[in-house]
Amino acid sequence: MFGRLTWDAFPVHDPIPLFAAGFVLLVLAGVLLLVTVKGWWPTLWRDWITSVDHKRVGVMYVLLALVMLVRGFIDALMMRSQLALAAGHAPGYLPPAHYDQIFSAHGTIMIFFVGMTFMVGLMNFAVPLQIGARDVAFPVLNSVSFWLTAAGVLLVNVSLVVGEFARTGWLAYPPLSELAFSPGVGVDYYLWALQISGVGTLLSGINLTTTILKMRTPGMGYSRMPIFTWTALASNLLIIAAFPILTATLGMLLLDRYLGFHFFTNEAGGNAMMYVNLIWAWGHPEVYILILPAFGIFSEVIATFSGKPLFGYRSMAIATMAICMLSFMVWLHHFFTMGAGADVNGFFGIATTIIAVPTGVKIFNWLFTLYGGTLRFETPLLWAIGFIVTFVVGGASGVLLAIPPADFQLHNSLFLVAHFHNVIIGGVVFGAFAGYTYWFPKAFGFRLHDGLGKAVFWCWFIGFWLAFLPLYALGLMGATRRMQHYPETGWQPFMVVALVGALVILAGIVLTGVQLVVSVRARERLRDANGDPWDGRTLEWATRSPPPAWNFGVLPQVSGLDEFWEAKRCNGGALVAARGEGARPLQVPRPSALGVVLAFFAFVAGFALVWHILWLAGLALSCIVVACLLRAWQTEHEVELNAADIAGRDGARP
Amino acid sequence: MDERDQRHAPSDDQERPGDAADWKSRLVKSLLGLAASIVLTLASFWAAGTHLVWGPGVPVLLAALAIGQMGVHLVFFLHVSSGPEGTNTILALAFGVFVVALVVFGSLVIMANLDAGMAGMDGLTRMQR
Amino acid sequence: MNAATTPVAEVGMSISERGPSPRTVIVGYGFWLFLLSDIILFSALFAAYAVLSGRTADGPSGALLFHRDSVLIETGCLLLSSFTCAMMSLAIEFRRKDWMLLGAGLTLALGAAFLWLELTEFGAMLAHGAGPDRSAFLSAFFALVGMHGLHVSLGLGWLVVMMAQVFTLGWRAMVRDRLACFALFWHALDIVWIGVFTIVYLGAR
Repeated sequence: MFGRLTWDAFPVHDPIPLFAAGFVLLVLAGVLLLVTVKGWWPTLWRDWITSVDHKRVGVMYVLLALVMLVRGFIDALMMRSQLALAAGHAPGYLPPAHYDQIFSAHGTIMIFFVGMTFMVGLMNFAVPLQIGARDVAFPVLNSVSFWLTAAGVLLVNVSLVVGEFARTGWLAYPPLSELAFSPGVGVDYYLWALQISGVGTLLSGINLTTTILKMRTPGMGYSRMPIFTWTALASNLLIIAAFPILTATLGMLLLDRYLGFHFFTNEAGGNAMMYVNLIWAWGHPEVYILILPAFGIFSEVIATFSGKPLFGYRSMAIATMAICMLSFMVWLHHFFTMGAGADVNGFFGIATTIIAVPTGVKIFNWLFTLYGGTLRFETPLLWAIGFIVTFVVGGASGVLLAIPPADFQLHNSLFLVAHFHNVIIGGVVFGAFAGYTYWFPKAFGFRLHDGLGKAVFWCWFIGFWLAFLPLYALGLMGATRRMQHYPETGWQPFMVVALVGALVILAGIVLTGVQLVVSVRARERLRDANGDPWDGRTLEWATRSPPPAWNFGVLPQVSGLDEFWEAKRCNGGALVAARGEGARPLQVPRPSALGVVLAFFAFVAGFALVWHILWLAGLALSCIVVACLLRAWQTEHEVELNAADIAGRDGARP
Repeated sequence: MDERDQRHAPSDDQERPGDAADWKSRLVKSLLGLAASIVLTLASFWAAGTHLVWGPGVPVLLAALAIGQMGVHLVFFLHVSSGPEGTNTILALAFGVFVVALVVFGSLVIMANLDAGMAGMDGLTRMQR
Repeated sequence: MNAATTPVAEVGMSISERGPSPRTVIVGYGFWLFLLSDIILFSALFAAYAVLSGRTADGPSGALLFHRDSVLIETGCLLLSSFTCAMMSLAIEFRRKDWMLLGAGLTLALGAAFLWLELTEFGAMLAHGAGPDRSAFLSAFFALVGMHGLHVSLGLGWLVVMMAQVFTLGWRAMVRDRLACFALFWHALDIVWIGVFTIVYLGAR
């Protein structure tokens, strides 16, 4: 009846998971109670859960990312504290099997549910506004994408309470992840969570690419698109091209585990190296999917807070598309040591060093933008400058790793761990926070508290270097990644410093929460009155804060780059209306429950498949089909707003 | 019925039912596509079994015939063309082909090199006994 | 910098500046991108097949198992169904329900014939102990060809739904956009099949 699910699946005997699970359930219950008592359910359902407005969906993505940042960071703290203790003969406090789950969950959550989610959220929010569109190409599909991601998140987090998580790292290499060596449910949770959220991500990639290519406002040719839109385009093209490879590869592993196939097994001719090859063919484009939007955010922020146009717009766009193409030609550098031989290693090593060139072009363009500008050291600019300093070091360590002989020494050492945290934190996380601070007033109508924002930045900046410089040193000294304890007592001081760094970052995360509460309380004082708190350059700043559901009452006619900036100089900030745009009736998409319904059944199906409760999986899949059929016969997709509705609440600046 | 289109700029290929004169050219185009595909398919099956073509050349011939037939499908059935809205379509297709080529041929080259460096599964199992 | 209120003229404007495309174009392009992503998914399965095709674990190989005659018939069915699908698309453009129904029905029948032949092939292989659990080669075969067959099955289900939609909802834009997407899907499946029969069946020598 319940497949393989028994009472043993609950962590009755393990204190740490028991406590964690209890805590999470308590918080969840508290939130649900609060919402019920305050009577917020109708508003929540109508305005957020079933919303298909890209701005709302974007905010929900970012909120999900921030929550998962906390979860993933707790994993990090546990690892750092374990390693600070477990030197020599000391065992630490985390048993190895548990430690393995923690580093696997940490990586999986941080990459898929923090990095991707944050970037997709920011792209969702800002891109349609930047290109003068009213929404993305497929608003309901957008909601579906978000909720499928949330279903994946839920599945990973449920593994904390029911069963266990994978112990195979964030990429689950076979043969360890095959049934023979991982007979439990952990790997299955991992696989189904990623397959479900992967569908959401792929659909989002299709959605945003179509939006950027087919829905720009009149006059906005490619050479007039904001640079964040360019990087969003490149990132979403990579999503469309790369995520199917992930789906196929994880699908093959699922076939091995569930139906006895032999893609990657040790017996019957399976080839585990094929998994490594295919997963990194996805994995390398994935890191560019993460970093490109961050590059775009920094471009916008640096130009805005220097009061100058971005230096070298054209070379930025070309460098972005070059990175898009090149990112598919370097993936073997993740497994130099697997034995493909010197020729193949040499080709990919050279290709990897070449891909550093367009990124270098971007760094120089940012520096030249800053040079000679009237700098305003607002929080987003601090994140940008911190990024330039941090990311360059991380990129340099990457170029070092790109040399195969060097990589043979450093592969899977803490040096590698330091490198990728360097570029992901310095690049993606810093970019996420820059974008969060930059676009927060547009989303909510008031700025975030500035002093606390700067404090958050310094905590992250100082904390990052304290946490990861020791790891570079340790890696060079021979320390391996994913170790639960180590015999060298001489390494312990470094581990302790790293723990201190993690605690400083913790302070930054806590302050982020404090900043949010303080800002909401002080929102009248921090109010964004005219929609343009930063003296911005791009079209999103021409709308009021927050913009109305339809973004622009009349679509603007664009005749150059930084249209809004030019309008402020020549026209008092008023945009020119596109030809044929008048105060005519507007169609606004209706809210839709399809997203949350599909995701609910997808979660149930995933959970059922993890525990081999086949009747439940079949039922959930049938419900998905029924929900889609019901949707197919819906004919009223939009609400029409007439001229009077729009005129009174138009998005144009007063 | 077509209210949604009012949001966007009007274009020429709107939802008007087709003209009577068009259908013949469309039918001919589809028939041509079908005929070409049949010819290429039969050629492939023949090439795979014949002794008339030099052995090592057969895979190349098969690949050429397959790519040719894919092209026929793209042009005659999927109507991929260089019209105004077609540039994006062709660029996306080019990117897709680029990625497919990298994944398939890259994997083949990499896996062949990896296997060359291996003792081989039989070797390993023999060592384990 | 910017002219005060005169919008820019349309003459000589590049396509990229013309503003948002019509809904049909947007839907079609989005679906085209989805198809490309699907083809990349197949390419990963093709890559796995190409790498694993020699690893038969002392079991049966393709040359032994495959019957080219039935593959030729399957190919013919699918190819003809692409043609009947094109006829269906033509009928839709002229809003002829009767011709649309004929085209759709023939496509359905030919697709079902393809699936039937494929399922009997799979059944025969399974009955002879040549299932996906026998060897890596067979795993890759069943995954690749099976995935294509799964797509065909889903496509046929979709076609049935679309026939019902035409009858209940008429020729509204939403229905026609979906039928256009189906047609793209169906033709793309035939393109994938070209790869399958060439690499898998004709390639096994």
